[in-house]
This record gives sequence, C-alpha cells and structure tokens, in this order.
Amino acid sequence: MSATSATTARRALLPSGARPFVSSLFAIVAAFVVGGVFLALRGKDPLAAYGLLFTRGLGTGYGVTETLIHLAPLLIMSAGLLLALRAGIWNIGVDGQLLVGALFAGVAGSAIAGSVPAPVMWLVAALAGMLGGLLWAVVPAILRVKYGLNEIITTLMMNYVALNVTSWLVKGPVKDPDVVPPQTRLIPKEMRLPDIPGTEIHIGLLVGLVAVLVVAVIFRYTVLGFQLDVLGRNRFAAIHAGLPVGKLTAFALLASGAFAGLAGANDILGVKGLFQGNWSPAYGFAAFAMVYLARLNSLWILPFAYFFSFLAIGGEMMARPLEIPTYFTEVLEGLMLVFFAVAVYFERKFAPADRSPDAMEAEGMPSAAITAEPIVTPELPVPTGERR
Amino acid sequence: MNARFSTTGGMTGILPRLAPEGSGGGGASSRPPVVEMRHIRKQFGPVVANDNVNLTLREGEVHALLGENGAGKTTLMSILSGMYQPDGGEILLDGQPVRIGSPAEALSRGIGAVYQHFTLVPNMSVIENVALGAGSNVVLDMDAAERDLQAQLGEFGLNVSPRSKVSDLSIGQRQRVEIVKVLSRGTRVLLLDEPTSVLTPVEVEGLLDLIRQLKARGVAVVIVTHKLDEALAVSDRVTVLRGGRKVAELGPDQIAAGTRADAKRRVVEAMFGGGAGAGEAAVPEGGGHAAGPVLLALHEVRADGNLGAEAVRGITLELRAGEIFGIAGVDGNGQKELGEVIAGQRHVRSGSVSLDGKEITNSGVAKASALGIGYVTDERLHEGCVQSATVADNSVLKAIRRAPFSNGWWLNRKAIDAHARALIQQFDVRTPGPDVRIGLLSGGNIQKLLMARELAGNPRVLVCNKPTHGLDLKTARFVAETLRRHADAGNAVLLISSELDEIFDISDRIGVMYNGDLAAVFPRGAADAETIGQIMLAGRAGAEARA
Repeated sequence: MSATSATTARRALLPSGARPFVSSLFAIVAAFVVGGVFLALRGKDPLAAYGLLFTRGLGTGYGVTETLIHLAPLLIMSAGLLLALRAGIWNIGVDGQLLVGALFAGVAGSAIAGSVPAPVMWLVAALAGMLGGLLWAVVPAILRVKYGLNEIITTLMMNYVALNVTSWLVKGPVKDPDVVPPQTRLIPKEMRLPDIPGTEIHIGLLVGLVAVLVVAVIFRYTVLGFQLDVLGRNRFAAIHAGLPVGKLTAFALLASGAFAGLAGANDILGVKGLFQGNWSPAYGFAAFAMVYLARLNSLWILPFAYFFSFLAIGGEMMARPLEIPTYFTEVLEGLMLVFFAVAVYFERKFAPADRSPDAMEAEGMPSAAITAEPIVTPELPVPTGERR
Repeated sequence: MNARFSTTGGMTGILPRLAPEGSGGGGASSRPPVVEMRHIRKQFGPVVANDNVNLTLREGEVHALLGENGAGKTTLMSILSGMYQPDGGEILLDGQPVRIGSPAEALSRGIGAVYQHFTLVPNMSVIENVALGAGSNVVLDMDAAERDLQAQLGEFGLNVSPRSKVSDLSIGQRQRVEIVKVLSRGTRVLLLDEPTSVLTPVEVEGLLDLIRQLKARGVAVVIVTHKLDEALAVSDRVTVLRGGRKVAELGPDQIAAGTRADAKRRVVEAMFGGGAGAGEAAVPEGGGHAAGPVLLALHEVRADGNLGAEAVRGITLELRAGEIFGIAGVDGNGQKELGEVIAGQRHVRSGSVSLDGKEITNSGVAKASALGIGYVTDERLHEGCVQSATVADNSVLKAIRRAPFSNGWWLNRKAIDAHARALIQQFDVRTPGPDVRIGLLSGGNIQKLLMARELAGNPRVLVCNKPTHGLDLKTARFVAETLRRHADAGNAVLLISSELDEIFDISDRIGVMYNGDLAAVFPRGAADAETIGQIMLAGRAGAEARA
C-alpha cells in the first residue's frame, strides 16, 4: 500500500472535526423556517421577529450581558448531563435536582450569610446545592443499580416530587417567617456573587466554564471518563471487560444530579438571593437539546449553550414588542430537536456503509442482520435500562 | 421457456418444477444462465470489497464461493440478494439486465437466501413461519397449506409436523424449514451463507444430500463457505475470491472426484497465493502438556443461563498447566455459560471455582482477570469490543486501570498507543493505525486484537470461545498456533468450539458438553469425530443407544 493511499484511507476512516455539526446547523435553520411559518400563520411578520431577536439579543450590550448571565446555569447543567448521557444514562430529572439544590443553597446560604465571610458562604451554599441535587438522584440511582429499574421513568417522576416537596418546604419548615410569600430568607444583595470586573455578569459564568472544562478533562484524560464512555457505547463490553458498571452508573446519575444542584445554587447566589415556591426555571429541556445538538461533545457545548441562552434572552426581547408568546422560543427548541432527529436519520441512511458485510461476517454480527439492525452510532446513546 | 417456473397448485405446489427432463446436470442448453453477474464493483469507504467480479449461476448447478475472510464473498452475495447496490457492473437474470433494489425484490425475482442467522419466529409453528408473508392472501387455507407443506417437509427428510413449534426443532431442522420457506416463495436461485457452520457432522451430511436434491430439481445453489471439503463434495463449480477479485474458477471437470486432491491444492493456492501457510499440516503437538499441576478446578458448578433456566449443571473439571482442553458441543448446551463462569462474568449458583488452589467463585470479572484468567468471547462485536472506539482504546479495555496505561486515575495515552502498536505488530492486525475505529476492521482482525489483548496479560488460564469462527484458514492457523504456544509455556487453555476440526487439531483432552453437562471426556486420539458428534447430538446415553 503506497503512502498516499494509506493517507487517503486514514482520512476516510477517521472522523473529521466539524462534519457532524452540519446536521445540528440544519436543524437550527429548519426550526427557524418552520417557526417562521407558525409566526406568519399567527399574523406576525417572521422577518421582523427574527430581526428583533438577533439585533436585540446579539447586537445590544444588554442582550449580550443577559445572555451571558443566563448561560451560567445552562453550562453547569449540561456539563453534568453530559456525564450521564455519555455513560448511556438518561437523567431526565435534572430540573427536579436543580430545584432541590437551589432550595438547599437558599436555606444554607441565608442561614450563615453575615456570620461568615461571603466567599465561605458561597462555598457552603454551593456545596449544599450540590448535595441537594445529588440526594435527589439517590433514589433513581439505587433503583437503577440494585433493581435495574429504568432511570428515565424514575428520574422523570422525581421531578414532580421535587416540585411539590420544595414548594411545601418553602411554605412551612424553611419559610422566611417575616414575609408573606412562600420563600426562603433573602441573601442580601451585597453578599451575592460579585460581577466579573468590568462587566455586569456575576462570576457564576466562570463556574459554568470551569464545569464544562472539568467534564472535558474527565472524558479526555481520565480513567473515569474512559470507563463512562465504554459503558455508554457498549454496556455489554463494559460488563465483559469487568468495569464497575454499577458504580459507574451510580456515579453518572449522582454527578449529574450534583451539577444540576450547583446550577440551582448558582441562580440563588448570583441572581435571585432566595428560593421561591413557584420558581421553576426548567433549564433541563434546553440543556438536553443543546447537549444533543453538540453531539455529546464536551467543548462543543460552549457555542451551543451560548446560542440557546441567546435564544431565551433574545426571545423575550422579541416577544414583548411584537406580542408573541414568550414560549415561542420553546417551540423553536422543540422543532430543533425534531429536525435534528430527522437529520441524523438521513445521515445514517445515506452515509456510505463503512463496513463491508464481509468485514462483519465473523460471529457477533450475522450478515443477515446487517440491514435489519442499523448500527447504533456512538454519538447518540439509546435509552438503556433493560436487563437481560 | 424463459418465463418463470410454474407453481402449480395441489400436493407439490410449493416447490419449483423448472428443470426440464435431462437438463438436471447443468446448463448445457443454449438458454442463458439464470444469473450472470458481470464486472461487479463495490466499495466501502476506502475498502474495495468487490472488484470486477464475474459470477455465473446455471440451473441445476451448485456453485461454491470460496475465499479468505474479507475476500468479498458476503458482499457479492449481498449485492445479488438486493441488500446493496453495486457501484459498477451489471446483473443479468435469464439474460436480461435487471436492477435488484431490495431483498424483497430479489425474492420476487426468484433469488432467495438463507443466512447463518435464521429468520424464523421461534414461538410460531413451522407452517405459520412458512406462510408468514408468503402472499397477499387475506385468508389462509391452512389445511391445504398444511398438506402441501407436510409433503414438502417429508421430501426434504424433515419428519416434523407442520404444526410443531420452531423452538422445539433442532438447529438442523430449523435450517431445513428455512430452506423450505425460501423455496416456497418460488426461489430458483438459493444462496446459502455458511450453511454448515451451525451443524453437527451428521447434520452436515444431511444438508449436503438436500443440496443434491435441490440441484436435481434445477435450483441454482450458491454456497458461501470456508470449508473446502464440503464445498468440493457437493459443488459443480467453484469460484475463489481474494482481496475482492476473482482469482480462480474451477469447472465440473476439475473438481470431479478423481482430481479432487488436485482441485483442493489449486483452490488453496488461489485463496492464499502460492499455498502460503495453508497446508494440511497440523499444529505441532506441545511437549510436556501431559501432567502439569492443576491450575483451574471446577467442582459441581451450577449456573443459570440468560433466560433463567439452568445452563451449567454440575460440572466438575480440572485444567492442568500445559494442556489445551477442548470443549465440543452444539451451540446452546452450556459451553458459553461455562466459559463465562470461569471468566467471572456469570454468577455461580452452587459449586466452586478455584485457581491455583485458591477459591475464586463469584469474585467477578475484574478480580478473575487480575488473578490471571483471560477470556476471549465468541461475541466479538456484541461484547468483545466497543465498535465506535479506537483500536488503541479497545486494546486496553480490560487493563485500563493498571500501569502503565493509567495510574488508576489519569490515562497515559502514550503508553496505550505504544501498547496498541505493539499488539498490532505482533499479531499482524491489519489496520491503518491504532487510532482507527475498531468497528471498521474485518472480523478476523478484530479477533486477532481481542486475542492479543488477552494474551498481553499472560493469563494462567485462557478461555477461548470459538476463537477461529469465521476466520480464514491462515488466521485460524495462526490463532491455533498461538494457543498451543501459550499452553506450552505452562498455562492452561480451555478451547470451546462447535468446530470439531479445530478441537481435534490442538486439544490434549476433549470434553463434550450436552445439555449443560460434561457428557464425556476423552484423551487426545481416543475418540473419533463420529463418536463425539453423536454425543454432541444426543448425550452419552443417546450415543450408546445408537452404538
């Protein structure tokens, strides 16, 4: 084999950098087009709407600042989500874990605010938030590891429990007795997270960036990341290789819970100062969408998270003057996922088969099954949870 | 007569009746061949799987397609059966160029395939399976169909009721049902993919008879196989592929019984280019593998299978240093589960497993592997490797927590890469490099890497399940030699296989598993294939009753 043909072979065999994101971009564009049709059907001018979205969201200092503030919890949450999804674990319960984490952080932070230096209070509140989120993932983790119960169902159900338990707690046991509405004690503004010097963006953004970097490092350089990847890509290979499947599964669930809790603490310490009974930011859906569009790649989360954050902020800025419902951005996000799924389908369908059936005729993949069972691409874990 | 054969109603309506009297022996007539594949080319990424391949199938002729692993046999058959479209060349059916867009279209044109992996629904009856998707009739006349089918089954030596459940049939019987099913769709070109690989020796003979029967009926049969003897025993014509190209075609004269040894030599030469390493010489027997110390001992081990039923039923077994212990058995008689028990991958319900006199029962894969037990699974793609991960990552899948690949926490990419390169070189794994996804390699190369991965840990006890299944002769020989060397170095090897040749070739002792039990153990040379085959089929009692 000559040197050039070897190089060609390598180029064709190795995944190339940005190609997988063509589908993601297609999904975004298609969502905007179809979203525009919806707007037009409601009698709104889609071009004017999108014009406002981009000029205000991207083109104004206020829009960019708000976007970056909003970015912090999204980054923290999707970093945690990535730990779970790359291990093939579907933690649908991040929103509930965030609520519990936020409540823990609100209670712990306000309890010691003023009596300790602010940075100590932040640390304690952040750890409390992580603990809260982690605890909320304990039950699904036990059910999954010990009894093989599908974590999609259990984490989903735990969301509703979290919603109601936190709103009950904040009405009773942990309520600030001095005010009427159900909320925890306020952490005074001067004790909250400071802004990054020269900006009006609190330092939670840095925490978010660090969270993504930590996860990137885990997957690139550590045994833990290696094992999580093996588990997510082929559970049976993980069992065969003697990996601690139960521990890894539990870790994936608990860690993503802790990250979600930290995202909740971030909002309490940086923006809100207290936990309110009716507060439910529901970042989870956006986090899932962006992690998917980033194709479970840790660093690619950054641009997609920024885009989703911009969408949320710009969407609000566009909605008011044009009287478009604010949840229109959620429609866009939903459409993106739908089109993304479509794009991935075609990606697989039209991808040149990379193995000849001769290459697969060896035991393990009977040739007759080649066309019947498409090979699961690693970028997209399939829901697991079934046991044999 | 260029029209399709008639499927007349009544008693024998299922099977094709196309052979006019006197033409059963092969297409000497002026009619065009049933199938002509011309200059077929197919590329998968950088790999040219088929390059300018011609294949001609005539009615009443059995055509064997031979070749090394990855030679392009399965690709060619996949193209003929409509699964893939060729990148170049054309297919002629009865002399007319056609495009076969899908397996369904192939079937409707009379081209049917039976793969190793059967497509029968196990919990349905034979007749339901045959009738499944058979036509557009809304109402099935089950009684008439049953009478027809009964006759056909009988003709093919299948003495089972059409009402019996497929799951109650043996593998050989299921294969026949599969063939009858395909024929019932009006198939006149039958593709058989590795048809004997799942069969016992007795069943293989039966299958070869059946193929001769089909041939007499005028069906054009293609057998894709690795097994030269079987191919030559039943074929009229042999095509050999190598590296995607057709390198030889032998006609009826060249493979007649008188010249068979000569034909064999020619085929082997064509497959490997100059007879390299493909001779008949057995792997040399090891030296002192008669009586080393006991390395692995199993006592009354019982374990359940995946479906909950007991799969290993009280097995007691000792493996000594320096020996290869072969386990023969028809698939599904508990051999796989036995291997998994030793590897720590399957829970032992009762009994004990000990290594070097130390009990290791139920200590798990990680512990067993750390203590020196290696396991080469037969499910290479399913559990043996992570297809989407690189060759390098797969080479350290089991050892990732150990030095030098990591310090327990941080990966040492350089060491992993160097290790992978070393394994690739030692075992001649054909890959563009260690950073290529392993799923892109051929089965034989994946197997070599899995073997290399286990041997790199220098295990005291190595369990191999079907280590040469689906490999070409050369690679299979390499694997066998490697196992022999490993045993000779003072380790023990448990070789599980349904391939008797493989077992006979290198085992010092041979155990036969039947129904979860070790039905018999023979020292090397004390048993012949027939005896073992009978025990595989019917257990010890069955074999004695027959004797």
